Amino acid sequence: MTNIAATRRGVPYAIAAASILAVVVLPFVSSSYVIDVATTIITFAVLGLGLNIVVGYAGLLDLGYAAFFAIGAYTTALLETLGHQPFWVTLPFSILFAAISGIIIGYPTLRLRSDYLAIVTLGFGEITRIVATNLGITGGPNGIYGIASPTFFGHALASPRAVYELGLGFLAVVLVFTSRLTRTRLGRAWISIREDETAAEAIGIPTLKVKMLAYVMGAVVGGFGGSFFAARFGAIDPTSFTYLQSVTILIIVVLGGMGSTPGVMLGAAIVAGLPEALRFLQLWREFVFAIGLVVLMLVRPQGMWPAPLRRRVTLPPLAAEDESLVPIAVEPGTSDVLLEVDGLSRNFGGVRAVNGVRFGIRRGEILSIIGPNGAGKTTVFNCLTGVIRPTSGRISWLGSSIVGLAPHRVVGLGLSRTFQGVRLFANMTVYENVLVGMEPRYRTSIPAAVLGLHAASEEDRRHLLSCRRLLRFVGLEERAGERAGDLPYGDQRRLEIARALASEPRLLLLDEPAAGMNPTEKRDLMGLIRRIRDGGITVVLIEHDMMLVMGVSDRIIVMDHGEVIAEGTPAEVQRNDRVIDAYLGDDEQETDGELRQEELSAWDS
Amino acid sequence: MSTFFQLVIEGLTIGSFYSLVALGYTMVYGIIRLINFAHGDLFMVGAFIGWTVLTTLAATHVPWGLGLLAALVIAMLLTAVLGVAIEKVAYEPLLRSSRLSILITALGVSLALENGVLLIYGPGFNTYPHLLTQAGFSIGGVEINDAQIGMMLLSFLLMLGLYIFVHHTFVGTAMRALAVDQDAARLMGIDVENVIRLTFLLGALLAAAAGVMEGVYYTQINFFMGFLLGLRAFTAAVLGGIGNIPGAMAGGLLIGLLEAFGAGYISSRWTDVFVFAVLIIVLAVKPTGLFGERVVERM
Repeated sequence: MTNIAATRRGVPYAIAAASILAVVVLPFVSSSYVIDVATTIITFAVLGLGLNIVVGYAGLLDLGYAAFFAIGAYTTALLETLGHQPFWVTLPFSILFAAISGIIIGYPTLRLRSDYLAIVTLGFGEITRIVATNLGITGGPNGIYGIASPTFFGHALASPRAVYELGLGFLAVVLVFTSRLTRTRLGRAWISIREDETAAEAIGIPTLKVKMLAYVMGAVVGGFGGSFFAARFGAIDPTSFTYLQSVTILIIVVLGGMGSTPGVMLGAAIVAGLPEALRFLQLWREFVFAIGLVVLMLVRPQGMWPAPLRRRVTLPPLAAEDESLVPIAVEPGTSDVLLEVDGLSRNFGGVRAVNGVRFGIRRGEILSIIGPNGAGKTTVFNCLTGVIRPTSGRISWLGSSIVGLAPHRVVGLGLSRTFQGVRLFANMTVYENVLVGMEPRYRTSIPAAVLGLHAASEEDRRHLLSCRRLLRFVGLEERAGERAGDLPYGDQRRLEIARALASEPRLLLLDEPAAGMNPTEKRDLMGLIRRIRDGGITVVLIEHDMMLVMGVSDRIIVMDHGEVIAEGTPAEVQRNDRVIDAYLGDDEQETDGELRQEELSAWDS
Repeated sequence: MSTFFQLVIEGLTIGSFYSLVALGYTMVYGIIRLINFAHGDLFMVGAFIGWTVLTTLAATHVPWGLGLLAALVIAMLLTAVLGVAIEKVAYEPLLRSSRLSILITALGVSLALENGVLLIYGPGFNTYPHLLTQAGFSIGGVEINDAQIGMMLLSFLLMLGLYIFVHHTFVGTAMRALAVDQDAARLMGIDVENVIRLTFLLGALLAAAAGVMEGVYYTQINFFMGFLLGLRAFTAAVLGGIGNIPGAMAGGLLIGLLEAFGAGYISSRWTDVFVFAVLIIVLAVKPTGLFGERVVERM
């Protein structure tokens, strides 16, 4: 178990070693034409790796990536020709300006859905190019020429071979940077928002910040590549930074394999190299290339070298008999009531889904909220977890209001949830799903993780251990390396619970956890819920299965038509006349249906 | 003031071309969530087919009105066939794959169409016969060309036809159902693949009509024209709220007006900056476009 699926580990390394050898030997055995093409491939590989962060990892469609490339190139060109600064001095400025423009374009637009983002980035790319074409300082359509070659310890890097080797250096830096970056928790957070942004936010990922960082990191790499481009040619003009260029870089990423480093490099080799190899076709070259692109995509829609699942992980050892959940430190000196809801209402259009609900959640209890479909139960959950804002009312967590907080902040305070329909990150492994849920617990910074500082790797180790503990707790330890989407349904539900527990919540909200389970699975679930409570975590569940509810609950709240109609122990609730009416009476069936619709469109899957 | 109205007329004319092309973007997006990058190139192909028909007929003394009609109809039909063929070959196999892979094939098809036309017709400009007289009338100093009126009218009729089709026929209803929930539509017995093909067919028809009109109006066409116009038409579709049919019509007219005013009052060099800046501001304020999305987002 400690070493999960290390199959065929040797193959990628052999390919990598052979490629590195070929790349290093190339300038000694090739003509300057071949070296030149190889340098172009390197430039595109750098850009592809940058865009891969944005598109491949975070899943944000960017159609104007060439803008960052342009900003880097113009920064170097202007600082060299007008500011008389050496190349190496201009480099940090390229990166800085690219990062700033990443923030400028990212900030107002990241709330947009992905396809709108695509057109905004396209617009940004075009604006950048047109500004460069029309301004005097950037040399207008003629661009800037006479950019000096960079020097390296007194040697001018001007020959094709020297430029090629400089490019290799740039590529190596970007490779190390992106591969380290994407292996940190930030990399996992990016994949999680690509898989399911709403779920990511709801389990504690600050999605806006994480998307912004994807933009900025992509921009930084683009700017870096732009500087190299300017140094390589000694002259730049706006035609190198067109929309077509952005699209070419996008093709590299998707054709190679989104989120896959070797894939992106292969994509760069195909997109930049193939047209050169097709020169003998003369006029037909572009046409054949275009058809080839379509055919390649049809044959391999997932890309030439798709990113593998990260199955390989060594979870730290955990004593065989240790089956406990991480003990939760009980806050000293606080009241017995964890959460208080008062006068909570929420309208959808003209429908009052929740109407003046009032209840409290006591520390250490198992509380069930039941009621007919459309009673407003999930809406209450959504209000508690910040997914929707209540129309009115008060929600206080340990005495302070949490109304209006973003979902990830609510998770940070210790309120975690699962969903009515399973919302796992299907294309991540089981253990990664749990690790993503630990985001609110991380204390070391991303730069520390990229640099591999001791504190960061120590924290990673601790979290892997706790991940293993959680997986054992829900009975999924043996499946840690599997793809989450491949698990059977019951296991997916348990994984969702483990993921929600990963943030070390004090209160766990389960939305219909038994839906779709068979009787055996339900009995197991009952045991699991009790063990969670025994581990010090208060549990609130919405559930329709009465066997489960009556068997596990300390207390039950019954809702109907958006109001609390009864509250008490299972025995009390079963005897309550209003509850019996709500379940058996059918005087207002129609409104139920409408309400259900509203609720569906708001959240449920 | 008369300059202002002159620009309005000019803007509405080119805007109606944008609207016709934007409709194709918006319908395809509404149904399969694909930004069909090849769509602008169908407009270009339509213009070239129209040119071929017109120049062929010019030698045969067919009355120019009839020739124009023939060019329009033939271009629309052939482009529609091409549009459906592209869907069948390049998109349909990928409908269940990741949305980005189908986006890349669309880019590939776009490049293939541009380079295919380049191979057949060459890189230069092809000139449409000068069919339109400058005849027209003038209201308070604003010159209105008969041709402009005709084109706006034709565009309007085509859009009206589309609107009636989508809202008042069975197949149109199926199309709208599919946009809301493809799986549910399939379960209700709708032939999903056929409806998708029909959507591409309609989009191609409108694009080809716009292509021929653009050729007649500006007389100069070239293989790259679809790219530029496609970009603006796509912007128009997003501005109006992508997936929203009336939104695309309005968005197209708005982009046309912005372009005319940008060129008239600022400088044509900055037109695109102007257009995209407006788009970004609109989206920052109203993230689903001016008229919102017709399609609901499922969660």
